[in-house]
Amino acid sequence: MKKGLIKATDAFERIVHWSLAVSCLILCITGLGMMFHSFNFIGTLMGGLKSLKYIHNFSGLFFILAIVFTIRMWWKEAGIFSMPEDLEWMMCAGGYLWHVDKVPEVGKYNPGQKAFFLAVAFFGVIMVITGLIMWFPFYFPVELVRWMYPLHALGFVVIFAFFFVHLYLGTIGSPGSLPAMLHGWVTRAWLKKQHAKWLREMEETGKLEVFGEEKKAAHGH
Amino acid sequence: MTNHWNDFQNSDVILIMGCNPASNHPISFKWITKAMENGGKLICVDPRFTQSAAKAHLYAPLRSGTDIALLGGMIKYILDNNLIQKEYVLNYTNASFLINPALKLPGDNKGIFSGLKDGKYDKATWAYQTDAAGVIKKDATLQNPHCVFQLLKRHYSRYTPEVVSRVTGTPKDKLLNVYKTYAATGKPDKAGNILYAMGWTQHTVGAQNIRTMTIVQLLLGNMGIAGGGVQALRGESNVQGSTDYGLLFHILPGYIATPTASLATLKEYNEKVTTKTKEANSLNWMKNLPKYSASYLRSVYGMNATLDEAYSYLPKGDDGANYSWLVLFDEMYKEKFTGFFAWGMNPACSGAHSNKVRQALGKLDWMVNVNLFDNETGSFWRGPGMDPKKVKTEVFMLPCASSVEKEGSITNSGRLMQWRYKAINPVGEAMPDAEIMTELYYKVRELYEKYGGPLKEALTKLTWNYGPKRADGTIRFVDPHAVAKEINGFFVEDAKVEDPAKKGEFREFKKGDPVPAFAWLQDDGSTSSGCWVYCGSYGAVNMAARRGTKDPSGIGLYPEWAWSWPVNRRIIYNGASVDMNGKPWDPKRPVILWDGAKWTGDVPDGVGNPGSGRPPFIMKPDGVGSLFGPGLADGPIPEHYEPLECPVEKNLLSPQKNSPVLRRFDKKGVGSELDEIASCDPRFPFICSTYRVSEHWQTGVLTRWCPWLVEMQPGMFVEMSLELAKERNIANGEKVIVKSARGELEATAVVTARFKPFDIDGTLIHEVGIPWHFGWITSADRKYGPNDKKPEVFTTGDSANLLTPTIGDANSMIPESKAFMVNVVKKGVK
Amino acid sequence: MAEKVKLIDVAKCTGCRSCQLACKQWNQLPARQTSAAGTYQNPPDLQPNTWTLIRFQEVVEKEGVKWLFRKDGCMHCTNAACVKVCPSGALYHSDLGTVGIIKERCIGCKECVAACPFEIPRYDSVTDKVYKCDLCLSRIRADLPPACVKACPTGALTFGDKGDMLKLAYRRAGELGGDASVYGDKFVDGTHVLYILQEKPGVYDVLPVKPHVLLSVMAWKDLLKPLSLVAAGGVLAASFLHYIIHGPKTPDEDDNHKTEGGA
Repeated sequence: MKKGLIKATDAFERIVHWSLAVSCLILCITGLGMMFHSFNFIGTLMGGLKSLKYIHNFSGLFFILAIVFTIRMWWKEAGIFSMPEDLEWMMCAGGYLWHVDKVPEVGKYNPGQKAFFLAVAFFGVIMVITGLIMWFPFYFPVELVRWMYPLHALGFVVIFAFFFVHLYLGTIGSPGSLPAMLHGWVTRAWLKKQHAKWLREMEETGKLEVFGEEKKAAHGH
Repeated sequence: MTNHWNDFQNSDVILIMGCNPASNHPISFKWITKAMENGGKLICVDPRFTQSAAKAHLYAPLRSGTDIALLGGMIKYILDNNLIQKEYVLNYTNASFLINPALKLPGDNKGIFSGLKDGKYDKATWAYQTDAAGVIKKDATLQNPHCVFQLLKRHYSRYTPEVVSRVTGTPKDKLLNVYKTYAATGKPDKAGNILYAMGWTQHTVGAQNIRTMTIVQLLLGNMGIAGGGVQALRGESNVQGSTDYGLLFHILPGYIATPTASLATLKEYNEKVTTKTKEANSLNWMKNLPKYSASYLRSVYGMNATLDEAYSYLPKGDDGANYSWLVLFDEMYKEKFTGFFAWGMNPACSGAHSNKVRQALGKLDWMVNVNLFDNETGSFWRGPGMDPKKVKTEVFMLPCASSVEKEGSITNSGRLMQWRYKAINPVGEAMPDAEIMTELYYKVRELYEKYGGPLKEALTKLTWNYGPKRADGTIRFVDPHAVAKEINGFFVEDAKVEDPAKKGEFREFKKGDPVPAFAWLQDDGSTSSGCWVYCGSYGAVNMAARRGTKDPSGIGLYPEWAWSWPVNRRIIYNGASVDMNGKPWDPKRPVILWDGAKWTGDVPDGVGNPGSGRPPFIMKPDGVGSLFGPGLADGPIPEHYEPLECPVEKNLLSPQKNSPVLRRFDKKGVGSELDEIASCDPRFPFICSTYRVSEHWQTGVLTRWCPWLVEMQPGMFVEMSLELAKERNIANGEKVIVKSARGELEATAVVTARFKPFDIDGTLIHEVGIPWHFGWITSADRKYGPNDKKPEVFTTGDSANLLTPTIGDANSMIPESKAFMVNVVKKGVK
Repeated sequence: MAEKVKLIDVAKCTGCRSCQLACKQWNQLPARQTSAAGTYQNPPDLQPNTWTLIRFQEVVEKEGVKWLFRKDGCMHCTNAACVKVCPSGALYHSDLGTVGIIKERCIGCKECVAACPFEIPRYDSVTDKVYKCDLCLSRIRADLPPACVKACPTGALTFGDKGDMLKLAYRRAGELGGDASVYGDKFVDGTHVLYILQEKPGVYDVLPVKPHVLLSVMAWKDLLKPLSLVAAGGVLAASFLHYIIHGPKTPDEDDNHKTEGGA
């Protein structure tokens, strides 16, 4: 680890993130294997479509855990928009789509990320509820069960699409972001570019943790 | 059956009464449906709304045991409205015959016919008037007050729709609708058909129930025609066959009477049982009886005995004695038997008053149970309420082969003898019945030969040529074809015989040649035939094995499919399907047709050449159908009597409540402490009837082991009306106790709108119904020993016959299982 | 091969249940313990081991009672919701128009159970599979009628080419008159089991009057299912375009340099 890198996430955050990511990914892949006959081969890779079903269902349980922690952990940071800067940010699309001279500074999460979080949280819960009812349909009225399938599919549409947005922006679309979720240490330049307000806040509250330097103040989750 | 199953398609009106073919003879509905598709009408008369009723155009409810009242009303309707087929009635029935003027009808004689003495009828006043030459006097105008036609009119004048409706509980409009619809078949070109089963026979007036309908059919000209007749839907696939072969105590194979002790010689026997007539044109076919008795004796003893010796060996009943079911078990209960073979039967469930039967079995020294499975009979000693330690009866179980494990023929209700082949070998130690009998016979013969015994020749001289023989003369195995050939009959010596159809022409036969038809049988001992009505079934070919599908008649006779007795005739009495000039009453559906030189179509029955004047009912001495039937024990014309156990105090048609000639086993009869009758008893306020379901067969010995069937009908139920259920606070599906004077059983309530209480003369009378297929041996709550087979799917409940009474029909002694009294209460409620 | 149809004429059905038993026999479906429960209808409903069943129904009217017998079982829809939703291809359309089921492929997801407008498929938790009638495809291919049709004694069940059966059905319904109608050809693009109903369809227990592929199934399979790929593909394409047109959002050079400088 280079000196001067700034700590953006702690281990717990990253574990939760990757739990969610991995379970979601498995769910998407296995889900695809069941949704499209042309993807049935995914089941073959897993020892049959029936195994795939079980993998999907039990990953779902893992996903439930992850989503619960995700929501608990990020609800305050990413679940609430702070006005007016978030609105201003959104007005200029965070500078992602056209050239903006001065992008409004944002905190730990920009409104795009917040929207992503909210989508994942909302549809994640939908997926959990619909998924569980689909798994155990005989405990529920058939009229209800029948609508679980399209809802589950709708959640998939949203989450799957957002997944690629997230993937792009977390990697090549926004270089320097990935380390935040790999080891947690990011460059000051990236932080300044992406989350200038947060950087400033951390500096002001003394919570900034720089690799190779003494902690200015104790903090933690 | 006078006709056959697929002849139902030719009917214009079918009356289902005393049966439920949709459930119990499912294949019949193939043809009933065809009839309906052809525009035919279906009527169903039944105490409950059955599966058959569900398909009928017209359903009329009636209280169990009141069929004669309903049909008597129909006879009155037909006569009052002059709907008879006049020519038919005049020429083919005894309508014009004059009866002894001394005859008193029940209407004028307190409900009984003249001649009743000590519970039996002296039939002197029932006789025909004859002239000096012995010829019956007739009145072709049908106006003489003593002619049968006028007697019928007078007798049934009491059966007005109003009175009938009060007796039967059938709403008057429905009653009249049934009468009108059915009586429309009195037109010469219309065919009315009646289907019945145990719903008619299992009454104290069972035989008269059927008689009533034969009168209707004769009046409407429905006998002998396509789509007509009277059809006994048999309760088992081979009941017709077993009856043909002398299953019952009073007949030998071919419906010839069992000899009695007073008829010491064959000559006396023949003299007594051969019918005679002085009617000039009557063929009186049964004048040939000596030929059939002689041929039968030859089939039993062959050349081992002269005919006279053979006759002397035959077992003979005591004069007047009755050896029917109820009597047998009463005697058994009174310890008059030492041993008993229950062969392919389950009396512990099938016998009326099964508790008595089960007790009776315990009075035996030994019992042999021949069956596919252990059953309530074989295991009676460990059944409910039995203490095995106190039962002395030693029981032997002989497993036998099922119908698919052996070859042979069965004869269905339509008298069609069909050959069946063996599909698989018997399971385990099971053997075909004939093999068991053979082994048994050899053993018994050996013992007789060694130790002697009374009338030992009766056994030692029997022929037993039923298969290839060993050096010692015993057979290696039973060949069913050998049995079939013996039944058909053969010449026991070379013979030159006059052609029965062509006087003066002779035909030569070699010893062993099959007899071509029963007309060729001889009374001199030169022919052998095990059952004369089957003569012609096995000649050069096994006729029963034929599978030809040609139907040149176009009315479904299929003469090349198997073989039906007699002489492959498909519709018996078909001589009555043509008028006196030989023209079919119904030109669209001719059964037989005269082509100028001979009859075509079905094998003609009884007709000579057209215009010969021969009356067509040749099995009757006088050649005509009997509107008046003096042969019956309980009256020459059917009269309504109440079931012995009934809910009504009075017979609304006469002061005589029950049939006056019943044989009772309770204290009012021969008396045993177990035989209880409870009529009009407030403890047992509801009528009960027994019946079957599609899924089970008989006592269920075969079907209760078949998981797929049990799954569909898993246990004893009792069907009752919504009204009764409300009255007794019983909900659908609840457990209830059904109780009669003789026993009780647990059942599941089926509360249904298909049962309706009857309005009987202003009183609301409830009827309930129970199936009879169940028994304790396949239930879950019995004890299973280590070697006991456990069913895959258990049944609940025991036999319906725990409730049924020991009272039989005056003629047939068939128990009255279709109308008796019970109580129904919710389980746990006193 | 031509499309095949099984015709059920309820007017000819006597409720003898030969069909129910024949189905079990041919398909070797085990019996289960049942109990007498106040009706002839037993087992009480379709089950994984009961693919066809006579429904006994009493209808009380002013003129009296009616007892209806209806053979229930798979209708073999042309537009079959079960096939539409089946993830594994276990349920499929045969070339005869019937809906077959490949037992080995079934993953027990139960999606068909909810999707079927006639509520036919039954899930068995022991084998974790769904079961239903396949119209005895193996028998049909061997030129034999389905087992139930073979066993029917009254002619209530017939089997043949679709055109013939339709003609027969309409002729018979016309002959029956009254409320009689043909049921099955007017929805889900036609079923391969047709009824000749004697009463109005609404009279019969568990028989939908206007069955159709459910809106939920259509929203799911016709709209959302393709949309998921379209949306994901769109996102990928947009990201690519974004990258090549707008470029990534890179941190400013000087800051970056500074950080490194501080190392």
